[in-house]
Amino acid sequence: MTARSSQVLMAEGLARSEQVPAAVEACYDALAVNDAEPFAHCLLAHLLLEGDFYDEAIAEATRAIELDPDCSPAYLALGLAYDRRGGMWDQSVLVWHELAEVVPDLVTAHVQLGEAFGAAQFEEEAIDSWKRALELDPKEARALYNLAIAALKREGMATALPGFRKAGELDPSQDDLFFALLGIRSVPDRVVDPAKVREDRDSRLGAAALAARADDLFVTAELVRMVLDEDPDDADALALAAFTYLKQEAANEAMACALRAVAIKPDLATALYTLGVVYSRRAGLSKHAARVFIAFTKAASQHALAHVLLAESLLGLQRYSQSKKAYRVAIRLDPACVRARFGLAAVHLTEGLHAEADWEVRRAAYYDTRRQGLFWRLYDEYAEGGAS
Amino acid sequence: MATEDALRLYQAFVGQDPAEAIRVIESVRASGVTQAQLFDTLYVPAMALLGGAWANGEVDEFAFTQASVTAEQVGSFVVPPVGRQDTGVTVVVGVMQRDRHTVGKDIIAAALKESGYRVNDLGLDVRPADFLERIEETGARIVIVCAEMLAVAHSVVRVREMLTTAGHDDIVVLVAGSPFSAEPAMAREVGANGIVHGAESALRVLGKVVADLEGGEMR
Repeated sequence: MTARSSQVLMAEGLARSEQVPAAVEACYDALAVNDAEPFAHCLLAHLLLEGDFYDEAIAEATRAIELDPDCSPAYLALGLAYDRRGGMWDQSVLVWHELAEVVPDLVTAHVQLGEAFGAAQFEEEAIDSWKRALELDPKEARALYNLAIAALKREGMATALPGFRKAGELDPSQDDLFFALLGIRSVPDRVVDPAKVREDRDSRLGAAALAARADDLFVTAELVRMVLDEDPDDADALALAAFTYLKQEAANEAMACALRAVAIKPDLATALYTLGVVYSRRAGLSKHAARVFIAFTKAASQHALAHVLLAESLLGLQRYSQSKKAYRVAIRLDPACVRARFGLAAVHLTEGLHAEADWEVRRAAYYDTRRQGLFWRLYDEYAEGGAS
Repeated sequence: MATEDALRLYQAFVGQDPAEAIRVIESVRASGVTQAQLFDTLYVPAMALLGGAWANGEVDEFAFTQASVTAEQVGSFVVPPVGRQDTGVTVVVGVMQRDRHTVGKDIIAAALKESGYRVNDLGLDVRPADFLERIEETGARIVIVCAEMLAVAHSVVRVREMLTTAGHDDIVVLVAGSPFSAEPAMAREVGANGIVHGAESALRVLGKVVADLEGGEMR
């Protein structure tokens, strides 16, 4: 454990509770006592970055690295400051490269390095960095989105679209959407025991959904079966069954259940979602997917990802301007929707609007890195006494 | 009719009989239902019947899976055609000499190919003489010249001049690139017939051009 002054500890506490002005003041207090404390400088850099003071953040992060070249959170703050300031891609490449050296298993460092290479027009190096990120984590959706954009630039939308879809499927937010439709926001912390579920339809369906959220598809199937044994026309149960089949890559079973559910309840959002996803994965059914997702966006209009799914299906039909509208709605509903921002970047590229496309990729990167809470992870690891 | 056929297809699925399923599909096709309609009018209701049969226990889990395998086997017979039909229209595409910005051109060319155009992609740094040569080789009557730099955009006029000199006044020259999007009047100055502002715009403009050309015989 690396020793920190009491002023730094106070600044940390304030920063973690998002009391930014007070935290900044505490950092300056800490620096007044000891100007050579890397923790205070990198913390200050992080806080200044949050307030969009890029040049000041760059100066503080640089000072932290000068004081300790292993200060990994300072590299993160410095790289993000360069990227958000813009026009400093050479420096950005160096910083992300350094962070990837200091913390070799940090996937985001490789993704960011690729984005910096891409912005500096080093396309091959960018692709290598994203591939390296995928070697470290094959489920790194942002690396896949970036590779899809690279494919779009080289070979057009038809080649890029499967990449977008694959990235979308890896993106955990897609499952989140389905469960949000069922009113489930987080993974349950207790295992569902079918024997203990009350013997009524709502309890069984609720428990089945919770089990599905916890990836316990056998329990889900058992409970759904019980509901269907009592009422084979229960559209909600059929939609949940369709989803569990989809999770098992059984596309035709999923389609059969979803179609039956939609036949019973045409505007059932969960069934429309599953049906749309099944259609979108099958070549030749882009138009069908778009039709289903149009109905889905009506049934789930407040969910950003619903509009993203519609936008992606429209990309497959080469309806780029309609796709753009759908992406814009998604971003209005959720400015941090990484998938929508990458998709919008793709549409901008089809229109020859390269600067706008780069801007959307940068925003996506910003939100994605922020969402991960990476600064605090690196900071805590650094405070524990190691870079990784 | 449709319900009866869908029932027969469903029974073929449950009976794990792909040959019978194909016979049903072919008989419906022979009755005048197009490939684009087969999925909605036949396959979808049959699959909904299958879902219903599984839900009410008429078919058990194993039979459901087997029926789904049969449905998968015949899926390609009912899915609408993936690629667009060949339009038979040849388009020459290239990035003007002294310009190496390929992204816009590549995206436009890919979108056109996907939509059934016969795209002759000359790549980047293309001399006006090469545009002319390829137009004469292929008999194309539409060319898209891309330029992302202002000085290069002005030089696109050399393509038009070369075409005129060779007696190809009727070739439709379309231009693409930021200088033309920012200053549309420049397109007229270089002798272009229109501007393409990206992939969707290319499809739209080409659709109109082809319709116009077909008005007085084309290809």
